[in-house]
Amino acid sequence: MSRLPGGLIDRGRTHSFTFDGKAYHGHPGDTLASALLANDVRLMGRSFKYHRPRGVFTSGSEEPNALVELGTGARREPNTRATVAEIYDGLVANSQNRFPSLSFDLMGVNDLFAPFFAAGFYYKTFMWPASFWEKVYEPIIRRAAGLGSLSMDADPDAYDKGFLHCDILVIGAGPAGLAAALTAARAGAQVILADEDFRLGGRLLSETHRLDDAPAQNWIESLEAEFDGLPKLRVMRRTTVFGAYDHGVYGAVERVADHLPDAGTGVRQTLWRITAKRTVLAAGAHERHIPFANNDRPGIMLAGAMRAYANRWAVSAADKIAVFTNNDDGHRTAIDLAAKGVEVAAVVDTRSWAKSRGDYPFYPGATVSNARGRTGLVSIDINYAGGTERLECGALGVSGGWNANVHLASHHRARPVWREDILSFVPSGHGGPPGLSAAGAATGRATTHAALNDGARVAAVALSDLGIDALLPDLPKAEDEPATSQPYWHVPGKGRAWVDFQNDVTVKDIELAHKENMRPVEHLKRWTTLGMATDQGKTANVTALAIMASLTGKPIAKTGTTIFRPPYTGVSISVLGGGDSGQNFRPRRLTPTHVWAAENGAEFVEAGQWLRAQYYRQPGETDARTSVDREAAAVRSGVGICDVTTLGKIDVQGADAGAFLDRLYCNAMASLPVGKVRYGLMLREDGFAYDDGTCARLGEDHYVVTTTTANAGLVYRNMEFSRQCLWPNLDLQLISTTDAWAQIAVAGPESRTLLSRVVDGVDLSNQAFGFMACRELTVCGGLRARLFRVSFSGELAYEIAVPSRYGNALMTQLMEVGADLGVTPYGTEALGVLRIEKGHAAGPEINGQTTAQMLGLGGMVSRKKDAIGSVMSRREGLVGDKRKLVGFVPVDRQKRIVAGSHLFSLGARHATETDEGWITSACHSPALDSFIALGFLENGSQRLGEVIVAANPLEGSQVSVRVASPHFVDPEGARQRA
Amino acid sequence: MPDISLKSMTALGSDDALSETFGAITISERPEVAIASLAARSDAPDPISVFGLSLPGPGEMVSGDGITIVWSAPRQWMILGEGRGEQDFASDVKAAAQDCSITEQTDGFVCIDLVSNSGAQPLQDLLMRLVNLDPARLAPGCATRTLLEHMSVFLIRYSERRVAILSMRSSAQSLWHALSTAAGFAAHRAEVRA
Amino acid sequence: MLIPHPLLGPRDAEEFTYMGDASLIARPSASDPGAEQAFSDYVYLRDNPAGVHRELWFHEAGDRSWIVVTRNTLTHEILDAQLARDVALASAAEAGE
Repeated sequence: MSRLPGGLIDRGRTHSFTFDGKAYHGHPGDTLASALLANDVRLMGRSFKYHRPRGVFTSGSEEPNALVELGTGARREPNTRATVAEIYDGLVANSQNRFPSLSFDLMGVNDLFAPFFAAGFYYKTFMWPASFWEKVYEPIIRRAAGLGSLSMDADPDAYDKGFLHCDILVIGAGPAGLAAALTAARAGAQVILADEDFRLGGRLLSETHRLDDAPAQNWIESLEAEFDGLPKLRVMRRTTVFGAYDHGVYGAVERVADHLPDAGTGVRQTLWRITAKRTVLAAGAHERHIPFANNDRPGIMLAGAMRAYANRWAVSAADKIAVFTNNDDGHRTAIDLAAKGVEVAAVVDTRSWAKSRGDYPFYPGATVSNARGRTGLVSIDINYAGGTERLECGALGVSGGWNANVHLASHHRARPVWREDILSFVPSGHGGPPGLSAAGAATGRATTHAALNDGARVAAVALSDLGIDALLPDLPKAEDEPATSQPYWHVPGKGRAWVDFQNDVTVKDIELAHKENMRPVEHLKRWTTLGMATDQGKTANVTALAIMASLTGKPIAKTGTTIFRPPYTGVSISVLGGGDSGQNFRPRRLTPTHVWAAENGAEFVEAGQWLRAQYYRQPGETDARTSVDREAAAVRSGVGICDVTTLGKIDVQGADAGAFLDRLYCNAMASLPVGKVRYGLMLREDGFAYDDGTCARLGEDHYVVTTTTANAGLVYRNMEFSRQCLWPNLDLQLISTTDAWAQIAVAGPESRTLLSRVVDGVDLSNQAFGFMACRELTVCGGLRARLFRVSFSGELAYEIAVPSRYGNALMTQLMEVGADLGVTPYGTEALGVLRIEKGHAAGPEINGQTTAQMLGLGGMVSRKKDAIGSVMSRREGLVGDKRKLVGFVPVDRQKRIVAGSHLFSLGARHATETDEGWITSACHSPALDSFIALGFLENGSQRLGEVIVAANPLEGSQVSVRVASPHFVDPEGARQRA
Repeated sequence: MPDISLKSMTALGSDDALSETFGAITISERPEVAIASLAARSDAPDPISVFGLSLPGPGEMVSGDGITIVWSAPRQWMILGEGRGEQDFASDVKAAAQDCSITEQTDGFVCIDLVSNSGAQPLQDLLMRLVNLDPARLAPGCATRTLLEHMSVFLIRYSERRVAILSMRSSAQSLWHALSTAAGFAAHRAEVRA
Repeated sequence: MLIPHPLLGPRDAEEFTYMGDASLIARPSASDPGAEQAFSDYVYLRDNPAGVHRELWFHEAGDRSWIVVTRNTLTHEILDAQLARDVALASAAEAGE
């Protein structure tokens, strides 16, 4: 097969590519489909269920058959439409869903068992026994029926995303879209023109229509030149607008480098989120076909596609072609191909009144009733009043009329309406995406003249909505031939007539669904799988529901369509991911001492977005517990330092700061003296414990509140809610300062000695700076700092805060000046051990299911004032809860207790009814040389000394534990006051 | 001046501010910028002015004499002081605005400048990959807080060619990754187009 | 979705955190008789209409304003947006009269 004359391909250059390992050549401007046709390759795929040989059926993104795998290795991409894949030099394409080869597919045996796979077969055939579904049936079906396969390797390409804003978004760059964009851009509006194709022009590229009596390409080129000079117009080729979302937001994928051998240092695809004040949908129309027996032979395609291949790509699927149509447009295919020297064997028109329009055999009032040629069309049977005739031809163009492409106009659950006069659904104009109007063929105004003028008109209306005056541009004179069509939906007869090629749904399947009462379109879809998978039935749905309508006797208008949803065409997960993966998948927050920690052997742990030092592995330490025990023991015996910057810090100022905090915390804060810190507990409004922390009063009207690391954002949000929504009259100013201060805990009996070596001339004695004191001071020669004498470990301890840029240096300095004291950095793991030994509640205890009373903090809930949650904390159900926070020591002290274990009395059955509580936190305590735990136990505080069972049925383990005070270390609190 | 024995470290974890160029765009860390937040008390006079600048309205910024003021929330502003990152800037602001609540924020944020050496377009091409804001609301004189790669950031548009981005200091590396990646892709795109 | 911020214009809904029924602004008084019942209703009873709903959104990634958004939950059409503080002040003023 040689190329036809003409076409929009660059014959001066040649690209080499392979398909199923065989080398071929094509030209720039070719798609994989056009290049394969030019190389006489008609067989391009196998069907989903029956593995029927299939050829290309369309020339656009609606393609159901020619699905291929592009690329190799990790870049292999399955289910790509050959009709929209631009070829480049070195392109590797492979067919899919066949074994061992495309021309000889063993799974083709499925075709012989077709009755087995009829409509609803999933639901009927594999019903019994139920256990067989997962183990036997599903794997077999999945292997037999399917699309392409994934490489299973990580995607090596780069992707990015972006955000665009415009006055007018024009979707589609055919005649209507071009006219709309021209009108809007000339009016000075911010305009985006997006088209999935790599060339502007839409259907004009595939027709021989003349504009102002010149080739349409001339007009397109003049527009492109003008567009280049309009800075407020953004033309986006290779960009599919795939979904309409709320409030004028659209999703679009730009295929930046899919047409290149290599993306280089750029991205492969970009995901755009477009916010448009108004949208003109100029998405054109999709041709439909007319099902007849064996209409899926390779070589049978839509008449408009056959014409596009000839006009735009200068190829014909065969030297001798025929056309089967129920409308005038089909005749254009015969006229155009004949003009290019292709032999037209017949034009078969279902309409008896139709007239021939060319010099070729013409069959009015006739149908095509069968086709032959397993891997490529050989002949067709023509049925007419006088009888049947077999006609040899290598390709057949079928036209059943055109469906307006209403997809995006029908997002947001809008229902298109049926227009009997043009035999197409069109957007109803209401209920769809607000601000979107369809223009041109997308709303049934399909002649070139009508599309051009409608595009300009709709754009002008949209502009006028935005208060922008627009002049209608002078548009070229164009054909305005009304399409006349006969409602003819399928050729009755024996043999399977395919409606949906991709899902192998036949006319008989629809008849079966009708018999089985699966008549509403949504049922029809699920029962037959019609309109599913990558093409979403773009060439099939309307024909199918018209057939169903004829079976039920209801008009098409009453039969309706299924719901349209994004995406319009497939979107890769990679591009939706927006590019970043691995450690860049989400923001990471690093502490001010991160560099020091990394240099000093820290193992890091994720705490929300934060990375924190979990423990510092020293030479010779092989397991984490050794490191953690060493760190915790060092705090108890000497001094340890730990970065606690991650705790939320909120600056609270204003005349009413104290009054506000009184309403926020269940305990009193207004009474806190300046220069003091108080532990505070916040409740949720439902009375459960919410978050705890400290509250430091730096001045008369200035507090600094700390929150837990996990709840920093939430507490701030709730404080803003309280400030703005509950008590808007208070004089109160809030702002987060978490990142501003590097805060380092200095804990242990030697902490005072260590700190006194860095603070500038401040008396840290117990008399001058006692337990729970706070103050502003300077360190290391004048650096402003804040010092808080608070203890999470139960030891004499402080937290020192300096501007974050000095955090790393302060850590280094403390290590240097404390070397003789054996100063030891400790991580979150030792921090946890120390607080469990001390019996301080943390996240596992304050988990949203527990109350102040359960935590042993019931006395903190002030009855003298109203605070969030205080009323509800007094309700019967919460007050009546007898579970209390207590400690546990295993009877065998070296036996590990697992957090999450449930508690049962000795000898009790392990069941929900006998459940008496649970373990919240557990660790090994170096201070006790024993495993220990905290947990909530029914009447716990009255059961000290009792031996019970901590059961972990998930692991099938249980440990006998003795109930103890939660304060394993220094229950009197003498050390922290020392 | 105090003689502090500690050496400061930039938010990106080094001694010196980082700077990198991608095509027409240069991205630079600005540790010398000091920041304090200012919130008006209930009884504060209206309008308030600080360092001779009137506090700007929603979505706006004002700049002059090394001071930049950004509207951050109703009755709350961020005050930026050029070249004062090592000073106690919050105290200076407090002295200039006695009636207001001032909070030190210098190290609460990392400040990164994006500067184009070739007009507004390269900056525009980069910003549209970073934030979902109508460019009209990001014109010179605009400042706003929005999301950038899941991080809450201030964008301060000083001029056609310059925008400053403020993000939580702890997320400086993630921000740098986001900015440099997007700038690299944008520069590649511009190169292909040219 | 776009939320029409009363001060900053339309902003991407991703910048916001949703909290639901705006009736949460009307916190009962702890000193009233029957406060426990009032708080129980306040905490647990919410309208969830198919249609027009007044709801609270927090501009978490932006200016930290709480906003009362009147939205049709069927169509997502947004009919009104006000600063929650203004709404709260207005209702406090009304209650004070």
